[in-house]
Amino acid sequence: MLKYIISFLVLIVSFSGLSQAKDTVAYTSPYGLRLGIDISKPIMGMIDSNSSGIEFVADYRISKNWYVAAELGNQKERTVEDYTTSTSKGNFIKVGLNYNAYQNWLDMNNEVYVGFRYGTSIFDQTLDSYKINTGNDYFVSNTSTTPVTTTDLNAHWTEFVLGIKVETFKNLYLGFSFNYKIMLSLKHPNNFKTLYVPGFNRVFDTETGFGFNYTISYTIPFVNK
Amino acid sequence: MCSACEKDDICLSPTTPKLILRFYDTAIPTEFKNVSNLSIWAEGKDTLATFKNVSLDSVYLPLNTNAVQTVYNFKTSATGNIADNKYNKITINYTTEEIFVSRSCGLKSIYHSVTIASDNGWFQSFTPNSLTTIDNETSAHVKIYH
Repeated sequence: MLKYIISFLVLIVSFSGLSQAKDTVAYTSPYGLRLGIDISKPIMGMIDSNSSGIEFVADYRISKNWYVAAELGNQKERTVEDYTTSTSKGNFIKVGLNYNAYQNWLDMNNEVYVGFRYGTSIFDQTLDSYKINTGNDYFVSNTSTTPVTTTDLNAHWTEFVLGIKVETFKNLYLGFSFNYKIMLSLKHPNNFKTLYVPGFNRVFDTETGFGFNYTISYTIPFVNK
Repeated sequence: MCSACEKDDICLSPTTPKLILRFYDTAIPTEFKNVSNLSIWAEGKDTLATFKNVSLDSVYLPLNTNAVQTVYNFKTSATGNIADNKYNKITINYTTEEIFVSRSCGLKSIYHSVTIASDNGWFQSFTPNSLTTIDNETSAHVKIYH
């Protein structure tokens, strides 16, 4: 047993010796503007008639591990509940930082990152139809189908992001990220509630939300460092 | 986390209040008095499933939120024989106000300017005959003496 441990240690030492010897070869990685699109939103739009939207993503590398990142888009979403049907529609933007925690081998440029965003949206919400919850089926309420639209609603929130990016071809990346959102401020329509915010998605009772995206993005390299 | 989901997805909050009637004894006005073989139906509708030939001293009645008036018929029989059937009709007038409750509960109605009129069948008297607002089910809204 001891023999194996010793030979293993010898192996490690010889490897570290090797890598020291190779340290003179410096691998560079690109610094530049990476632009992309969330492909999950058009796909969701095709399979779910209540959902349509688009999201563009961008990041800019500012140091070895830090990126300034942003997402920008618009979303229209119909929310169908037992007693109400409503539609939210509007634009959103999120800006923040990503920290790449992944130690790349050689000249690879992959990322496993954590991030933080500030997000905001300006949107309209329409109460398309509703019926009064009478609490009985003896007198069932008529359904009101006169849409009531509240314009210029807004929301502000923070997001924590976990994600990966993999370089598939030179400068072309596939990415997946998941985020958890906490609402900072949210405007509600009169005598109703904001049930969905573009960019924030469904507003849960605790004023939190979840989201994810699948992205294809391309880096326009400015310099290699 | 899970309590948050439940609160969001299942309606647990009070919604549209029902009109609660409590039956008292005319002879001893502080005592509840059961109504025997009681059946209740709204004008032009079937008998309420929960109040079909029952003996109770308290009933709760839904009001029609699509209208500003609901008429209820009360039938009682001391013996259970059809020959002993006695009837009383009450007419409730009101205005409705729609109030948002929550995602899962939607909107409820509450009632304002409620007035109640009886055709003085087997109800000896009742009080009050008008209420400013009915917005909860915490206690009886109307006392009926018989």
